[in-house]
Amino acid sequence: MSDSPTLRRSTFDPMALYKALFLTVVAVFVATPLLATVLGGFKSLGELRTNPFGLPQVWEWSNYTDILLSARYWTLLKNSLIISTMTVALSLIVASMAAFVFAHIRFYGSDMLLNYITMGLLFPAATAILPLFIRVRDLGLLDSYYGVVLPQVAFSLAMSVLLLRRFFRDLPQELLEAALVDGCSYINYFRYVTLPLSRPILATVGTIAFVQSWNAYLIPLVMLNSDALYPWPLGIMVYQGEYSSEWNLILAFITLTILPTILLFLLAQKHIVAGLTAGAVKG
Amino acid sequence: MTALAARRPLQSGKLTAILLFLPPALLLFSIFVVLPILEAAWYSGFNWNGFGTPKNWIGLDNYRFVFETRAFGLAFRNNMLIIAVSLLVQLPLALTLAILLAERFRGAVVLRMLFFMPYILAEIATGLIFSFVYDGEYGLLAAIWRIFGAEAPHLLASPQTSMLAILIVIVWKYFGFHMMLFIAALQGLDRNLIEAARIDGASRSQTIRYVIIPLLYPTIRLSAFFAVVGSLQLFDLVMPLTRGGPADSSQTMVSFLYTFGVTRMRVGFGSAVGVILFVICVTFAFTYKRWFMRDE
Amino acid sequence: MGMLKKAALAAVGLLLTAGSVTAQTTLKWLHIEVNPNQVKIWEEVARDFEAKNPGTKIEMQFLENEAYKAKLPTILQSKDRPHIIYSWAGGVLRAQVEAGVVEDLTPAMQGYKDNLAPAAVTAFTVDGKIYGVPHAQSQVGFMVNKELMAKGGVDPSKVKTWDDLLDAVKKLKAAGITPIVVGGADKWPLHFFWTNLAVRLGGKPGFDAALKGENGGFAGETFLKSGELFKQLVDLQPFQTGFLGFKNPQAVGSFGDGKAAMILAISSFYHSQKALSADKKGISDDNIAWFDFPTVPGGKGDPSDTLGGINGWLVTKGAPKEAAAFVKHFVSPEVQKRLAAGNFLVPTYKGADEGLASPFMRNIAQNLAKSKYHQNFYDQDLGPNVGRVVNDATTELAGGSMTPQQAAKSIQDAYKQGN
Repeated sequence: MSDSPTLRRSTFDPMALYKALFLTVVAVFVATPLLATVLGGFKSLGELRTNPFGLPQVWEWSNYTDILLSARYWTLLKNSLIISTMTVALSLIVASMAAFVFAHIRFYGSDMLLNYITMGLLFPAATAILPLFIRVRDLGLLDSYYGVVLPQVAFSLAMSVLLLRRFFRDLPQELLEAALVDGCSYINYFRYVTLPLSRPILATVGTIAFVQSWNAYLIPLVMLNSDALYPWPLGIMVYQGEYSSEWNLILAFITLTILPTILLFLLAQKHIVAGLTAGAVKG
Repeated sequence: MTALAARRPLQSGKLTAILLFLPPALLLFSIFVVLPILEAAWYSGFNWNGFGTPKNWIGLDNYRFVFETRAFGLAFRNNMLIIAVSLLVQLPLALTLAILLAERFRGAVVLRMLFFMPYILAEIATGLIFSFVYDGEYGLLAAIWRIFGAEAPHLLASPQTSMLAILIVIVWKYFGFHMMLFIAALQGLDRNLIEAARIDGASRSQTIRYVIIPLLYPTIRLSAFFAVVGSLQLFDLVMPLTRGGPADSSQTMVSFLYTFGVTRMRVGFGSAVGVILFVICVTFAFTYKRWFMRDE
Repeated sequence: MGMLKKAALAAVGLLLTAGSVTAQTTLKWLHIEVNPNQVKIWEEVARDFEAKNPGTKIEMQFLENEAYKAKLPTILQSKDRPHIIYSWAGGVLRAQVEAGVVEDLTPAMQGYKDNLAPAAVTAFTVDGKIYGVPHAQSQVGFMVNKELMAKGGVDPSKVKTWDDLLDAVKKLKAAGITPIVVGGADKWPLHFFWTNLAVRLGGKPGFDAALKGENGGFAGETFLKSGELFKQLVDLQPFQTGFLGFKNPQAVGSFGDGKAAMILAISSFYHSQKALSADKKGISDDNIAWFDFPTVPGGKGDPSDTLGGINGWLVTKGAPKEAAAFVKHFVSPEVQKRLAAGNFLVPTYKGADEGLASPFMRNIAQNLAKSKYHQNFYDQDLGPNVGRVVNDATTELAGGSMTPQQAAKSIQDAYKQGN
């Protein structure tokens, strides 16, 4: 905690009032669109027009239940879940192996190779999206989960490797030396010592990869063609195209698709905040 | 540990680890990151629709076409505008809120979480929520205007205001992230320094200005770095809001690349845009590191 | 991985089909129809085809018009592309043919093609080969709300020339009525104005000359003049507030809600304005009227010339042979008559237009039959890249960010650069 003075409650303090006012304004600015979205999904189109802010006069539960009962909604979530899980798993495996080598084994060219991978931090996937598309097409991976997962893993590799490497290096070095003297191989050390000790950083890297993949739009947009494979950001855009101005339905759909994210956030908020900000700071 | 017997001598164990552990990462990275960006440079010399192999070499013409397209100029201007707003509006806002919310009082934690929440929402969802907020018929803004008996402005539909509308969404979505960065830094500050300042009779605002903010400089530099890098790749948010329109008034460089390169399958033209964006990103990263982050 | 994946898929496939005797063929059919009433019939047609062809399954996929156009180039590059796709013919079709991604249907069309309107078949013919089966034709013109027009003191049947239209706009504005609603966010609804003016000004010779690069091409006099006339209209601010942010379905729905007097419409909007309106009823038949795009003084085009679409279905390379059969089934007399009876489209199958129930659609069918020069939508006709530039430029004209000269020049530049 920073040591700014605590509120003096006994005497009237105009600063405290300004502060409260300012925080309230920001809170309203942030919360209103979110609340209006959730509530809007419960309204009829006519009511949405006359009463966009308040509680619904008539709760149209069917807006939500119709979506929840549609195969479409579940297919989207299933696809997102598969793509994100694959991305997380592959990221963790590939990045932790590489990070382990970069953390513990010095060999000719190791610095160069690390710098090579670090380059990935410098530019977004969008810069190479067309050649990436051609490559994925030539590999025959268009319109498949792999066509989305592999590029996503590749572009998040730099960040993951750096985060993991830093953590691995901070583990007590004596442990490794002792293990090597005992005749333990690097590979076994990685499996039986490094990984179990690295749960926090694996969780952090996993969280970053998951959130990024769950929310990703550009790569799936370019690589996927059939709606049977669409993750939810693509699916919701199609839905919006279909129901163009039936905002009540679109709002219900938005609410239901962001619900998993929000639930996850509320359940594991400390972890997610720590993960996402640590990812930024230490990267 | 004793159970794990070494099957090979130390040196070869090292080699095995290297040969087993590095190639997957290097291969993935080379195939899906490095090669495509090199290919972008190569393809940018062709007029090519993606079918067959590139044959029609046109040299640097694609770059000329890019710079001659009015929309690209707009996209570049918009990216600069986003950077400016991120640095001049969002960052101070995040810093102020961080200083306020780093204190312990009832509700502080709830507010922090509330302010951080937009950051974890997908850009697509955010964009759709705000296209509802801005909708001239059903939107929240329209409703507010109606209270005053005025006809609602269609912010997203006018070339003059579309970018303003997007900038508001950007601040809404990202300030919480920067705020959290600052809060994390504030919590790591050395309390003694601040105590010392207080004991020396510095006022609250003086403490903030002369002690806390200077101590936060490394985080501010970092936050600014992320703001710029994030601004340069903005795309997802623009698509549901305006798709870069009306009349290209809200294109960003990436949405320009998508609209004019990908959806028209002009591989050469789009690659040229990609290369330009790449050069901007890399130049920025190196310059920034050199000028501002030398000590890190 | 590819091999493994395929093997695994094949194994799963075997397991699933072990019970049935015939192997399943799945046809992926990608469409862009938003009108649920029409989609319902299409679904029935698909089920009907499945019943008649055991072992064939039809999977319908939907993309919204603009999303479809944006996605199509990448879709076509995929090996798993849909088997049947929507097409507007024209230069976009030619580019697809040149890329080798669509199937030559000439053999399948043998004999059958004589049942279809010749102009429609010609539209889907590239270098002597037929690549698509047309199912609908349409005309662009003004669809109007009679009640609102009357309120503004305008008789729609008297709007014959461009100046009449400008007058009508002024009168409607003075009466506080939104004269024209347009889906400017999708850009193409705006390009109808500029291109229809060019059709009136230059006629077929004007367009052909521009294609050959004569008379300054698309930067030539005809097209400059189109831009200037369009600007006269734009300067009157005839469109609804925020028109550049409206997608076409929103604009059409807005017309259906009675919020504007006119819409420069594709004739099929007659039906979609009902489906897209808030009450799902839209403007009733007795309150709706149509007038052809006004003529311009000194125009070389014939007043009977039409701008419009010819829509059909393409079969992509490597699709199962059932795809062509299904497309023909879709453009069979029964289905065509059924769609005509619902007033969804002007059919291409000869004689099916007898089934058109509403006078509105009959009038369109007659216009199309009379037309000697039917200009396909420019944004399709000029090919994937140039067509898009036409849309960009006309939208900028409407938004006031380009002059007629700049607009015409940007189109000509794109045309020279090619697709």
